[in-house]
Amino acid sequence: MSPVSLASGIPHFVPPSPADFRLPPVFGDSVFFTKPYFLLLLAALLVVWFFYSTSRNASVVPSKLQFAGESAYNFVRNSIARDVIGSHEFMKFVPYLVALFWFIAVNNYFALVPFVQYPTLSQTGFVYGLALLTWLVYNGVGIGRHGFLGYFKHQSVPPGIKGPVLLLIAPLEFMSNILVRPFTLALRLFANMFAGHLLLLLFALGGEYLILESGNAGYIPVGVLSLLMGLAVSALEVLILGLQAYVFTLLTAMYISGALAEEH
Amino acid sequence: MGQSPQSHEPHPGSGDPWQAVSYLLTGVGLYAVVGWLLDEWLDTSFLLPVGIVLGAALGVYLTYVRFRSSNHD
Repeated sequence: MSPVSLASGIPHFVPPSPADFRLPPVFGDSVFFTKPYFLLLLAALLVVWFFYSTSRNASVVPSKLQFAGESAYNFVRNSIARDVIGSHEFMKFVPYLVALFWFIAVNNYFALVPFVQYPTLSQTGFVYGLALLTWLVYNGVGIGRHGFLGYFKHQSVPPGIKGPVLLLIAPLEFMSNILVRPFTLALRLFANMFAGHLLLLLFALGGEYLILESGNAGYIPVGVLSLLMGLAVSALEVLILGLQAYVFTLLTAMYISGALAEEH
Repeated sequence: MGQSPQSHEPHPGSGDPWQAVSYLLTGVGLYAVVGWLLDEWLDTSFLLPVGIVLGAALGVYLTYVRFRSSNHD
């Protein structure tokens, strides 16, 4: 982000770009050990530590800490897993859904933690990994329930369509359910994290440039406005970061529920 | 999603609202490729646009059927 000096001496504004998301290695010159890598690791450790430490000394009358842990667990268990998958078989998917939700949420809120300020899941690779996991889970349980051919039919023949048009619809339904889903699932999370952070970068850098570097006092109010917009976007991000973790988990639960559903 | 907080049963067929986007994109994408392949094979040039329009129509139809049936459950 170093401003390029022009001949006039006034630094040129360099807008933020996707290149700003690519960070240098923390040590050595390996491309793997970058800040996002360590944040991902930290998020996993935080989630494990939180649930371990709040449930280790579990008692019938919960302590404050145990109550917090149980609330975090119950939120996903009741409002996502049970409501979407149904009370008969949701329990075996609760561990995955709870871990998924809180792992994504912690990674997302890293975007607003001072000095961390990086949404880990704005890196596509991580998100495709999560989407692949979900893809394996829902196809796995679907094949387990209906058998390989049964599941293939289950995901290719939409309910309520009969006759020759099925010949045209079946490949569409199959592609939509099996091939396109992991990509739309991943893109939604990745794009929201990426765009939100880019917007914050733009307002912060723009404000800083207009106030300190533009060399024109008339621009200062606009720079202040830009920083205020940055704050407003941050407030919006508080909502979006949690919402996207919720949406990803909810859709995972829906895909599982759809794969398990009986023939219509 | 959870229309009634009392019921913990899934709502069959309701599904992902993004399914509509997926159907439209897949419909257009899939039948554009089919049209293009037929064009290459038959040495014509009108089947690609036909495929795109057909794919879009099928995507709309599939979306309609999916979300219609979910309201009658």
